[in-house]
Amino acid sequence: MHRLSFHGVGGTLFGIHIVNVFLTIVTLGIFYFWGKARVRRYLWSQTAIAGDRFAFHGTGREMLIGFLKAVLIFAVPLVVLSVVQQSAWVWGIVRMLAYLLAYVIGTVFYPLAIVGARRYRLSRSSWRGIRFSFRGPTKEFIKLFVVNAIIVSVTLGLWYPIFDTKRYAFLTANSWFGNRRFGFDGSHYQLFKSFLLALVLTPFTLGLAWFWYVAKKRRFYWGHTTFGAARYKYTGTGGAILLLMALNLVIVLGTLGLGWPWAKVRTARFLARNLTLVGPLELESIQQDAQAASATGEGLAGLLDAGGLDLG
Amino acid sequence: MRTDWEGHYLDGRTPTRRRARVRLMRGGLEITPEGAATQFWPYGELRQTQGSYAGEEVRLERGGELPEVLVVADPSFLADLREISQTPSARFHDPRERSRRRQLTVLAALAVVAVVAAIYFWGIPVAAEMIAARVPIAWEVSLGRSVVDSLVPPEKRCRTDAGQRALDELVATLLAAAPPSGYTFHAQVADIKIVNAFAVPGGYIVVLRGLLEEMRSADELAGVLAHEIQHVLRRHSTKALVQHISTGLLLTAVSGDVSGVMAYGLEGARVLGQLRYGRAAEEEADALGMQLIIAAGLDPRGMIAFFEATQKEEGKGSGRPVYLSSHPGAADRIARLTRLAQGAPPPRRPALGEAEWAALRAICAKPGETR
Repeated sequence: MHRLSFHGVGGTLFGIHIVNVFLTIVTLGIFYFWGKARVRRYLWSQTAIAGDRFAFHGTGREMLIGFLKAVLIFAVPLVVLSVVQQSAWVWGIVRMLAYLLAYVIGTVFYPLAIVGARRYRLSRSSWRGIRFSFRGPTKEFIKLFVVNAIIVSVTLGLWYPIFDTKRYAFLTANSWFGNRRFGFDGSHYQLFKSFLLALVLTPFTLGLAWFWYVAKKRRFYWGHTTFGAARYKYTGTGGAILLLMALNLVIVLGTLGLGWPWAKVRTARFLARNLTLVGPLELESIQQDAQAASATGEGLAGLLDAGGLDLG
Repeated sequence: MRTDWEGHYLDGRTPTRRRARVRLMRGGLEITPEGAATQFWPYGELRQTQGSYAGEEVRLERGGELPEVLVVADPSFLADLREISQTPSARFHDPRERSRRRQLTVLAALAVVAVVAAIYFWGIPVAAEMIAARVPIAWEVSLGRSVVDSLVPPEKRCRTDAGQRALDELVATLLAAAPPSGYTFHAQVADIKIVNAFAVPGGYIVVLRGLLEEMRSADELAGVLAHEIQHVLRRHSTKALVQHISTGLLLTAVSGDVSGVMAYGLEGARVLGQLRYGRAAEEEADALGMQLIIAAGLDPRGMIAFFEATQKEEGKGSGRPVYLSSHPGAADRIARLTRLAQGAPPPRRPALGEAEWAALRAICAKPGETR
């Protein structure tokens, strides 16, 4: 059994963060990306499993370039298209095409950002010198995302837990550590009942039932995530997650955002307390097998705030 | 000084961690992993990627994209590494610098507070002023039209020809006293029973039926219209938009990677920030609006009387406080307006004739209905 551990301290992270804020303001935002790299380097290097720390290898430079590319490829065309749509002197048919094109870009944007950010982050993460990678075909994920998003809207949201699980399964089962693949063996339909229950209980619990749903979901996701012969185990409960989030909210709001590092550290500790990898790691059979990845996806996620992902 | 250390060696090809003996030599490290040959790592080829913070292991990497790695758990290794390698300070972290770093961090924190305060109290208002002044009127008009269309759809608009003519006449009287601007004003009455009026970028002014019904004279309405006209001319909404975006950027800079619920919470902080800017805009619209009334030769007491009436009714819990909520405190406001109206020449004319005022009052009446 291998327990995840987190050694970071809120005060140290705050020190890194506040200097980042200062430099970001002074450089009119340019330093933001270097600051992001610093924070990740710290968080990764304070997280350990089986006695070894993770490492983050991304750089501020590549994240800045990725962001600029994302702006160029997506934001600029969208702005141009929206101007075309509103210009009265353009032919109606052209305006309609502009509208359609903007709609397509908008639809594709989100899944592209999710996959792109994951591809980038995993490719820049290592443990014991071996890189992680994400090898899921982007097209396939966009298809999965768009088709299921449509089903969700047609079923008035009832399809959501199935969509969520399919998405998680795709992202997980296409993640690799060196030449070994992670796996997901849960049923796509398993969460449906819990989802319905949370939905029914929402009015009676003022929405708090969702914390128990989230806990259930995490236990289900992690519990069906495999790494070779080993399997993850997550023990977080709804009450504990509620407490964690509520206190974090107080910390962040009470400090107008400046207390963010302490909230971050608390969340990381909570994950470390509740996550273990059970079973033999069989590291002997693993070889380095790094994959190239550009930072454009990361930039795209930055544009959208589509970041949030768990370390595979 | 200690030259022999224990560490772990990772070869960059497999995840096997090997214990290694490390010896600090003059020109580099001598590393002997268990069961493997001794290697020599010249200091000039090494990068330190972890170990600059308390509680971190020291991690040295050698080679390109997928480097070999040496991890030494004991942080006191660093001091000796620096001592013996004699390399420039940038290559390996100096633990003795941590106290200096702590001082710099405190300074940075103080600087952040000072800079954020300066940006909030001074930078954003000035920048908003400059940017708003450069936004083409055509952009404001297209934005304003879509705002009006969504807030007051056509079926919610009150319109009788005589009433609209009277409203347009009142706006024209006020505008004749204002310096020429590129705006074309469109005033409208909406069939909504809330005591309020608002201005939208590009020259759109909407008076809600609730407010119109509270008015006892055209002079009172002239006061409210003058206030709203100044909002448009001074581009307050456009400025507010710029301020909203820049306060958001500022909060993002301060708060790092906040997502989900946190982001919503911070949105609240942003709204609080907006209130301050909002009040400054209201005071400006009051002062300039009063100047406009006086310049147009209308009776300044109309504007004051309206606010006095609102203040009186405020305590009674009527519909009026809605109008007041986004506006400065009523008592202050009346005092300020009274001061501004002092020394004004006597009014040359009523804001509207009796018949026009009556027509405007009835603008929301259904055909055949009398009030």
